[in-house]
Amino acid sequence: MYTSAAIVLGVMVLFYFIALWIKLSTELAMLVAAVAGAFAGGHFFPARHVAEGAITYLDINLIFFCATLFMNILKESGGVAYAVRSIIKTFHKSRVLLLILLAFLLLIPGALTGAGSVTVLIVGSMVAVVLNYMGVTKIKTAAIIFLIAGLSAAAPPVSLWAMMTAAGVNMPYVGFFWPLLIPCVIGALFTIFYLGWKGTKIDVDKAFEELPVPPEKMNWTRIAIPFLIFFVLMFMGRKWPHDTPVVGMPLMFLFAALASWLLSPKKIDLFKISAATLKQLLPLIGTLTCVGILVQIMTLTGVRGLLAITFITLPAFLVIGSLFFFLPITESVLMYGSAAVFGVPLVLLFNSMGLNPIVALAGMSVIWPLGDALPPTAIIGRLTVDVAGAKDSYGKFLKQCIVPAIVIMILGTLMVIYSKHLGFLTGI
Amino acid sequence: MNAFFTPIISILYYALIAYLVVLIIYNLIKTKDWKKEIVYVIILIPFLLRLFMIK
Repeated sequence: MYTSAAIVLGVMVLFYFIALWIKLSTELAMLVAAVAGAFAGGHFFPARHVAEGAITYLDINLIFFCATLFMNILKESGGVAYAVRSIIKTFHKSRVLLLILLAFLLLIPGALTGAGSVTVLIVGSMVAVVLNYMGVTKIKTAAIIFLIAGLSAAAPPVSLWAMMTAAGVNMPYVGFFWPLLIPCVIGALFTIFYLGWKGTKIDVDKAFEELPVPPEKMNWTRIAIPFLIFFVLMFMGRKWPHDTPVVGMPLMFLFAALASWLLSPKKIDLFKISAATLKQLLPLIGTLTCVGILVQIMTLTGVRGLLAITFITLPAFLVIGSLFFFLPITESVLMYGSAAVFGVPLVLLFNSMGLNPIVALAGMSVIWPLGDALPPTAIIGRLTVDVAGAKDSYGKFLKQCIVPAIVIMILGTLMVIYSKHLGFLTGI
Repeated sequence: MNAFFTPIISILYYALIAYLVVLIIYNLIKTKDWKKEIVYVIILIPFLLRLFMIK
């Protein structure tokens, strides 16, 4: 039993790397690995399991699309440019306040959508302009945007690593808000102050020249109302769960997106921006769909069970002590798939050890995004370097990320170790 | 109140899925990259399964 599962696993790994070697994308490499695994397991092409697996993360894909559509409409309407300009205008005299607000500005899009790439694409270029005129070098700016974008993806309300792992162990996605928010905010503030503190006084006029100009009629009310709709719907569902219809996060984001579209001072072609959003999200939606297929085939062939048993029988100190490099490496290979494949047995192990699974999973979720800068994928890392306009080598970018990344790893690992003591954060 | 809103919410979700199916097919036709075409076809599967109430 173990031998056959190990052979299937070997075939999957082999075909995954062959697919990457022939320049297929990560999502297609996962699909190739899944199909090869099914063949190796004697199931040939199990169409029913492929379909079952593909639908696993449909709800998360819907959240992804609706939230990113909301952010894209906000950017297209000039709302993001207006917010960035207002922040500079009001707080340009205080570097501390400016850095804090920029950190929060970077945290919002990823927190709402669950994707670091959305943060980079929506606010990355504008924040890069501001940081450059604050005297922060382009390579440091790229490191700031990448690290906070990663933390924003792990931040609540939408943290895909936590959601996917929780779904895998049949644990409701409840109680994650504070355990995810606190380390993400601490990590983001440390990153921006460590890398962005040294610099010059901001050149407001030059920064304004380079930033996009929002439409004249744009104001804070037009920006705030869609957010208000989203948060009111979310609050009502949590405060009065039995008296409020279950709207679900995709529709909450869709209502916010429609409000943002209706309130936009300039006309936006809804179909065009929706098609562009889908195109932008294709690698992520594709990855989630293919991860579902891969996990389904792993379950079918016994590979998932083999991994779970292997992890559960490993010494605890070895597992916890290696999380800081093991999680980013799995992320760099499988992207979000790492949560479904490796997160599930790890949470089962922590639960069996008497640790708090919610806090432990939140700690792991903070570490995972760091792998988005590492080869072979490194999609978000390279995207950030491009958006920030840094011309230095990729190695130099990674070097800038090291110290804040170590702090984030320590933070995440400590959360796992002390998860039992931090259980009060879940509010359960 | 829940009994009144639940069917409306379900209809809205099916409308959203149908809209996404249209968008996926539109992008699938427009793309020139065969690798992206495959990914579009794969992501279309779950949306069609839900739209036709198979899954």
